[in-house]
Amino acid sequence: MLKNYLKIAFRNLLRNKAFSIINISGLAIGMASAILILLWIQNEVSYEQFHEKKDRIYEAWNKAHFSGKLQAWNTTPKILARTLEKDYPEVEQAVRVYWDHVYLFSVGDKRLTVSGNMVDSNFLQVFSFPLIKGNPKTALMDMHSIVITEKLAKKLYGDEDPMGKVLKLDNKDNFQVTGLLKDLPNNTRFKFEYLLPWSYLRYVGEDDASWGNNSTRTYVMLKPNASVVALNTKLKTIRQRYADSDKEGEMFVYPMSRWRLYSSFKEGVEDGGRIEFVRLFGIIAVFILLIACINFMNLSTARSEKRAKEVGIRKVVGAPKSALVGQFIGESVLLALIAGILAVLIVQVSLPAFNKLTDKELFIDYGNYRNWVFALGFILLTGIIAGSYPAFFLSSFQPVKVLKGIFRSSKALIAPRKILVVLQFSFAIILIIGTLVVKHQISYAREREAGYDKNNLVYHMLSGDLGKNYELVKNELLNAGVATSVSKTSAPITQGWSDSWDFQWAGKDPNDKTDFDRFSADQNIVKTAGFQLVKGRDFDLKQFPTDSTAVLLNESAVKAMNFKEPIGQLIKDIGVEWHVVGVIKDFILQSPYYPLKPMVVEGARGWLNVMHIKLNPAKSTESNLKVAESIFKKYNPEYPFEYKFVDEEYARKFDDEKRTGILTALFAGLTIFISCLGLFGLAAYMAQNRIKEIGVRKVLGASVTSITTLLSKDFLKLVIIALLIASPIAGFTMYKWLQNYPYRVNLEWWVFVLAGMSAISIAILTVSFQAIKAAMTNPVKNLRTE
Amino acid sequence: MIKIKNLEKIYRTEDVETVALNKLSLSVAEGEFVAIMGPSGCGKSTLLNILGLLDDPDSGSFLFNGIEVADFNERKRADLRKRNIGFVFQSFNLIDELTVFENVELPLIYLGARPSERKQRVEEVLDKMQIMHRRNHYPQQLSGGQQQRVAVARAVVNNPKLILADEPTGNLDSSNGNEVMQMLTDLNEQGTTVVMVTHSEHDARYSHRIVRMLDGQTVLENIMV
Ligand SMILES: Nc1ncnc2c1ncn2[C@@H]1O[C@H](COP(=O)(O)OP(=O)(O)OP(=O)(O)O)[C@@H](O)[C@H]1O
Ligand SMILES: [Mg+2]
Repeated sequence: MLKNYLKIAFRNLLRNKAFSIINISGLAIGMASAILILLWIQNEVSYEQFHEKKDRIYEAWNKAHFSGKLQAWNTTPKILARTLEKDYPEVEQAVRVYWDHVYLFSVGDKRLTVSGNMVDSNFLQVFSFPLIKGNPKTALMDMHSIVITEKLAKKLYGDEDPMGKVLKLDNKDNFQVTGLLKDLPNNTRFKFEYLLPWSYLRYVGEDDASWGNNSTRTYVMLKPNASVVALNTKLKTIRQRYADSDKEGEMFVYPMSRWRLYSSFKEGVEDGGRIEFVRLFGIIAVFILLIACINFMNLSTARSEKRAKEVGIRKVVGAPKSALVGQFIGESVLLALIAGILAVLIVQVSLPAFNKLTDKELFIDYGNYRNWVFALGFILLTGIIAGSYPAFFLSSFQPVKVLKGIFRSSKALIAPRKILVVLQFSFAIILIIGTLVVKHQISYAREREAGYDKNNLVYHMLSGDLGKNYELVKNELLNAGVATSVSKTSAPITQGWSDSWDFQWAGKDPNDKTDFDRFSADQNIVKTAGFQLVKGRDFDLKQFPTDSTAVLLNESAVKAMNFKEPIGQLIKDIGVEWHVVGVIKDFILQSPYYPLKPMVVEGARGWLNVMHIKLNPAKSTESNLKVAESIFKKYNPEYPFEYKFVDEEYARKFDDEKRTGILTALFAGLTIFISCLGLFGLAAYMAQNRIKEIGVRKVLGASVTSITTLLSKDFLKLVIIALLIASPIAGFTMYKWLQNYPYRVNLEWWVFVLAGMSAISIAILTVSFQAIKAAMTNPVKNLRTE
Repeated sequence: MIKIKNLEKIYRTEDVETVALNKLSLSVAEGEFVAIMGPSGCGKSTLLNILGLLDDPDSGSFLFNGIEVADFNERKRADLRKRNIGFVFQSFNLIDELTVFENVELPLIYLGARPSERKQRVEEVLDKMQIMHRRNHYPQQLSGGQQQRVAVARAVVNNPKLILADEPTGNLDSSNGNEVMQMLTDLNEQGTTVVMVTHSEHDARYSHRIVRMLDGQTVLENIMV
C-alpha cells in the first residue's frame, strides 16, 4: 500500500515537473530563510548561557544625571571590585576586565598584534572559559603569567605545546604561558585571545584607587541565594559612602541573562535593546515560513483538484477514506521532506554570506539531536498541514460527483486564496517600503557634511617607539613629500574617546551639566583634518609655545558656554587652564545620525595616542604609503605598519544601517519571490478553471489582449488592496524606526508609490504570463476536453 | 440478489428539483444479465450508481443479498462495495499515473491481499482479457478498446458477484464494442450477475432481460429468449 502511494507520489512529482519545482523550491526557500533567522536568534538568545554560574553573575553599572538625562553606563572605578568583596556580604567575588588591548607578541622571529584583556586572577573561576591545560585557580596568579587561546597558540607555536613557553609583549616584558584556553564560543561578549593578570596593570602604573575614574568593567558573582535586591538597595549609596568627590550617582548590578538583549537604558530603566531586533526577526521568520507553507498548501490543493478523477476511481474500486487521507498527507510530507533537505543545503551554502552579513559565526549543529527532532517535527507538521486540506476535502467527496467533475465549479475555494495573495503582498510591500526608507535614511546621513576632509587622510596608532620618535617620523614624512600635514591626536578622528561635563568657564551656571566631547591634538590639526576655521587660528607650537594649553571650540561649544567673544576665554579642565585660540565649525566625531555635541579640542598637553597624516594629493596614494611604510619601519621596526584610511573608517559608521538595509532588502526579495510563486500557481489555477470560458470567448471573437486583461484584472485588485493594508503598517513601523535617528529623513510619499508600483508590476508580470498562455491556446482544444 | 422497492432520488440544486428516480422498483436475480435502456436523462446512471452503492437514495428500500443497504453510511457501503461489486464505465476511468498492471491490482490492494496473491490474480485476469502483453503500459499508450478491457479486468479482479457497466461500449467502435460485450457475456456465464446501461439495441440483445426506463421509472420489460 505504502509502496503504491510512494510510486504514485513520485510519478506525480516527475509528471508535473514545473509544479513540483515551484512547490518544492518555494517551500525550501521559505524554510531556509527561517532556519537562517532561527540560527541567528538562537545565537542571540544563547549569549552567556554557557556560564555555569550565570544566575549569580552580574555586571556593575552606574546611573547619574547629566546633559539633562538620567544616564546609565557600565564603566566603573577600579577600586569598586575589592570594595564590593570586602564590604558587601552578598558578593562572593568581583572581577575586573580592563579595556581590550592590542599587544605586539614576539616569539622567536614571529610578530603578531593580538587583542585581549587584563583581568583579575579569579576571572576563570567566575566565568566558564575552560582551560585545556593549566589550573584556572592559579593560572593568573603570577604577574608574568599569560593565558592564551588555542587559536593564538597555534599561530604562535604551531603544534608545539605552548605551556611554559615564554613570550614577549611590546618588546618589553616576558610572560610565561600558564594556561591554554579553549577558543571562545560564538555567543559571548568577550573577545580576548589572551588574558593577562591585573597585577601587570599595577606594575605598569595604570591602576588607581580613584572613585572619579570610571575606567574598567567590573563583574560580580553573588553568593548562592544572596539577594540582588538587597545588594542593589545598598549600592545606591556606595559613592556617597566611599568617594571623596564625585559622590553623585548610584550604582547597581545588572544580571548576566539580560546583558546581550536588554542592556539599553533610557532614563535609567531598560528600554528596547537587541531584543527588539530578535523579535522583529522572529516575526519575519514566522511570516516568511507561513507564506511558504500556505503557498505550498495552496498549490498542492490546486493540483489535487486535478487529481479528483484518481480519487473517484480509487473510491469506486474500494479505497476507504482513511487510505486516501493517508495517501495525500503522505505525498505532501514527502514533498515537505524534499523541501526540507533542499533547505538545509541552501542554508549550508549561504551561511558564509549570511555570517558576513550579520557579522557572526553561525553554523548548523548536526550533532545536536534536538535540532534533528525539531527539523523532522517541523517538516512533518508542514507536510501534514499542507496535505490535510486536499486529503479531507477530496476524500470526503462522493465518488460519483468527483468522477463527474462537479466540484470543479466550487468558487468557495478561490476566496481564501485571494486572501492569501493579499496577505503575501501586504507583507512584501511592507518590506519593500522598509528597504526604501532604510536606503533613503542611509544616503541622507551619508550626504551630511562631515565637517572635515576625509580624503587622503590616514591615521596610525602611536604604537611601540612611535611616541618617542614622533617628531622624527613626522619630519621625514613631510620632507619626503609624502604628507602635507601631520598631527598627533587623542583619538582617531572618527571616534570619540573622551567626554566630560566638568569643564569650567567664566559665567558657567553651577547646575549646568552639559556634556562636551573632548578631543586633543598637538598642532596644525585644522590643516591636517581640514576643519573649517570660523574664528582665530590653528594650533601652532612653533610660533606660540603656549599653544600646548590652547583650545579650539566648535560652534556648539561657543553657544553652550555662552561666549560673545570666545577668543581669549579661559577654560578649566583636568586641572589645566586652557585658553581659546580658535573656533571651528562642528564636525562629526561619532554618529552621523545625532546632533553634533559641543566639543573642546585641547592642545598638546592632552593625552595623545594617534597620528593623523594628510597624504600629499599630488602623488599617488600607493607610492605615498610605500614611502610612509619604510619611514615607519625605520623608526618602529618591531611593529607592523597598520594605517587606516579615515574615509573607510567613516564609512563604517553606516555599517549597522547598511546591514539592516541589506537584510530587509533580502527578506523583501525572498517574500516577493515566494509570493510570486503562489501568485503564479493561483493564476494557473484560475486560468485552468476558466479555460472553457476563455475558449467560448475566443470563438466569439475576443482578442488575446482582452482576455489577458480580463484574467489579470482580478489580481491587480488584490495587489492594490495589499498596498492599502501595507502602507499604514509600514508607515508606522518605519516612522518608529526613524525615531532612533535624530538626524533623519521624513517619510516621503514617493516611497509608498514606488513600493506599490514595483509590487504591481511584479504581480502583473507573474500573472500575465499565465493569462497570455491561456489566451493564446487554441479554443477548439479547450472546448473539446469538456 | 437485488430487490429495490419505491426507490426515490431527487437532486436539488438551488431552486430546481430534479426527480431522477421516481418510486422505482426492480429486482435482479443472481446470475442474471440485465440491460437498462431509456432516453437520456431518464435516470439510468443514477440507478446504476445506487445499485453500485456509490450513491444513496432519498427514500425506498434496497435489499442487497437480503440486507437492507438504503441507509448504510459511506463506510459500510464502501466495505460492501469493494467485496461484491465491479464497475465498468463509458470513459474507462483508469488512473493515468498507474500502469495497466497497477490499475488492475488496485482493488486487491484495498482488499488487503498479499503481494504474491495479487500478482497471481492480476496476471490471471490480464491473461483472460488478452492484455497481458501490455501490463507495463500506461493507459494513454493504449487504444480505447484496450483501455476498456483493462477496465473490465479491474472490475472482475476481485471476483465480484455483481458487475455494473454504464454504457461500456459508448466510446468504442463496433468490433471493440462486441469484444467487450463478449467478455461480459462470458463473465455472466461463469455466474457473475451483470447490470448494464446502454443506448444500443444491439448490445442489449446480449442480455437476458431489458428494463426500459422513462422519467425515473421502469416502464417495460422485455425478456430475451
Ligand atoms: N448531480 C446532479 N445534480 C442535479 N441533477 C442531476 C445530477 N445528476 C443527475 N441529475 C439529473 O438527474 C436526471 C437523471 O440523470 P442520469 O445521469 O441518471 O441520466 P441518464 O439516464 O444516465 O442519462 P444519459 O443517458 O444521458 O447518461 C437528469 O435529469 C439529470 O439532469
Ligand atoms: Mg448516464
